[in-house]
Amino acid sequence: MSADFLSKTYLVVDDFSDMRAVVRSILRSLGVTQVDQARDGKDAIDHMQQKRYDVVLCDYNLGVGKNGQQVLEEARYRQLIGVDTIFVMITAENTRDMVMGAVEFAPDSYLAKPFTKELLQTRLTKVFERKGDLKKVNKALMAKDYRGAIAELDRLLATKPKNLAELLKLKADACMAANRHDEALAIYEEVLGTREIAWARIGVGKVQFHKKDYAQAKETFTQLIEQDHNLILAYDWLAKTQTALHEFAEAEQTLQNAAKLSPRGLHRQQLLGDLALSNGNTGEAETAYQRAVSLAKHSVLNHPALFAGLAKSKSSNNKHAEALKVIGEIGKTFADSDQAHFYASTATAVVKGNQGDTEGAKQAMQAAEQAMRNLGDQRQNPKLALEMAKTYAGLGEKEKAAALLHQAIANNHDEDEFLTEIVQVCRAADLDYDAQKAIREIQQDVIKTNNNGVRLIRQGEFDAAIKLLREATEEMPANKTINLNTAKAIIMKMEKTGATTEDILAVRHYIDRVQALAPDDWRLADIMIRLGQLAASRN
Amino acid sequence: MDFSDILASSIHDIKNSLSLILNNLDELIGDPKNRIRDPRQARLLQHEAQRANSNLIQLLTLYKLGNAQLVVRISEYNLEDFLDEVIAANQAVCQALGLELTHNCGPDLSGYFDSELIRSVLDNAIGNARRYAKSRILLSADREDDCLVIRVEDDGAGFPARLIGESQSIMQPPIDPDNPARTQLGHYFAAQIAALHETRDRQGRIQLKNAHRLPGGCFELWLP
Repeated sequence: MSADFLSKTYLVVDDFSDMRAVVRSILRSLGVTQVDQARDGKDAIDHMQQKRYDVVLCDYNLGVGKNGQQVLEEARYRQLIGVDTIFVMITAENTRDMVMGAVEFAPDSYLAKPFTKELLQTRLTKVFERKGDLKKVNKALMAKDYRGAIAELDRLLATKPKNLAELLKLKADACMAANRHDEALAIYEEVLGTREIAWARIGVGKVQFHKKDYAQAKETFTQLIEQDHNLILAYDWLAKTQTALHEFAEAEQTLQNAAKLSPRGLHRQQLLGDLALSNGNTGEAETAYQRAVSLAKHSVLNHPALFAGLAKSKSSNNKHAEALKVIGEIGKTFADSDQAHFYASTATAVVKGNQGDTEGAKQAMQAAEQAMRNLGDQRQNPKLALEMAKTYAGLGEKEKAAALLHQAIANNHDEDEFLTEIVQVCRAADLDYDAQKAIREIQQDVIKTNNNGVRLIRQGEFDAAIKLLREATEEMPANKTINLNTAKAIIMKMEKTGATTEDILAVRHYIDRVQALAPDDWRLADIMIRLGQLAASRN
Repeated sequence: MDFSDILASSIHDIKNSLSLILNNLDELIGDPKNRIRDPRQARLLQHEAQRANSNLIQLLTLYKLGNAQLVVRISEYNLEDFLDEVIAANQAVCQALGLELTHNCGPDLSGYFDSELIRSVLDNAIGNARRYAKSRILLSADREDDCLVIRVEDDGAGFPARLIGESQSIMQPPIDPDNPARTQLGHYFAAQIAALHETRDRQGRIQLKNAHRLPGGCFELWLP
């Protein structure tokens, strides 16, 4: 084995000490010298905090506490392992089923027990090779530089590699993330031209969804499920599509079916709870939230909103005392954070309201408003605004709810999924606010402003364009599209007439705003690269 | 807790045990100072432990298949990489038994299948071949009649005449009392898994014959 391989550091995670010894002795027999061991999920995280590992060999089943998947999630989420770290999940049987769907948290490789040392050696050698080949791609993906990633993938694809299919899939994913839907579609169709392959067919459905061709998307996902009843990903996308079509009851049923097949998906249970609650199926909502809360217990993705959802659904089922107890857990589980305060307060307001305790509800609402103020920049988080609006609506404060929703629409005029949630809230709370009309009007306004801005830029009237867009950002400070377009207008001006410190700082300001709202926004990378080039040109 | 959970958790434990047995045997055999009088005994133990493992996977897979819970995930794979791994998983036991295990496959051949399922079919076929081979087991992959054909051949006495032929005859669970049940279960399993690989107009199948490249038995997996 190459020296490069042997000089690496390894972490072996298993709750069974004899198994750790087995894996360690296999590694030793391969000449590896630097092997640390962890006995459970927490121990593994502690080790990764102390030291950077090149390879983590982690059993899926770790007894009480985190499972292997949750270790991987936390390690990636908290960046305890880098893009170059190899994470191998060791499974007793085919546990791939359990973790499907969480693409960004997929391990580099699965290894079924028992494995021989020859197999481990062959596998690691190949994974090292693949990681090496994909080094630039992974780096670019980490930096959300999709353009760079796609260019590098094209270079690799041109060499007619062995893992052509894998690279095509990666490229399609990158194209989707970069909003280059037509290029992704071309890849899916190329693959499907040879043969019917599930990931490519799902890809076609995703493109249809993103192009708002919901009827077609629904057809695609429904057919996929008919062909393979176990294809979880198709259920999740079908539910998303049905939600977009405002077929909320059908969406709930689809998620219910998916949750039956794969009950361990945290996000799916939360979505199901949300849908069931707003559909008025309080019993189903409670079950789903109960599952979500227990699944999240050892997870880095745990969130006060899950407890709030459980409390609200319990209260809807007239279990007010239990609901308040769940709310009590929020403070215990999450360190003194304003978000935790916020969710605890809104949930309390709902429970008190349901109990007929108007005064208690009012006080809780004041606490929620205070928590919201304390949140500073995070205040603009659309989820929080929605939660607040829902609570106001539930307590009969319909005007306050409508005002919040109006602002939320303005800030998110092109976020279709979020807008659907707003429509849902209005429907569930029976608000006298025509969300669909408001959405149409706001969208028309924003589009008009945008078009005017673009026209002015084309005419070379940069200052006028920037002034127009800047005014719009004052009105809609949390609207990502407006902020980004303003930044882009300033960049184009600088590209034409030269960079100034003042302009660079202004662009930075808009980028910061968007990053605070959505660090994953696909449009950020391009703007940051162009800003970087401008800044460099001044030096 | 439903039965598949109980099954999954038992299998987890059994697999841990098998891992320990296999790896300790591996160390024992590799240790020149070991005091086993007949090293062949240790090798047979290793061979049997691996067969127990293959059988366990087969059982679980058939159980899932019976309950419509089996997820078949077909992707495109490079055959050389794939067979490298299959050989790596089986090399130690074959070497210990004095058998040469190699593959014959070009670097550019690729095919569509569920790698986990096909892996267990091949592990099982190799386990079978180990019992009959004199000195060699050969894996190969080719494209023939627009199908991917994976073969496991040995240089033993070959399959008995009544087993030779198409896979249809083994789509029924084994009942023949004259034949070792586990061999038949293995073929039944393989035929089931092959049939899960289908395109619009064609279905995967297995075929048994003798004296293809090597003089002994030849297990063929045909995948569209």
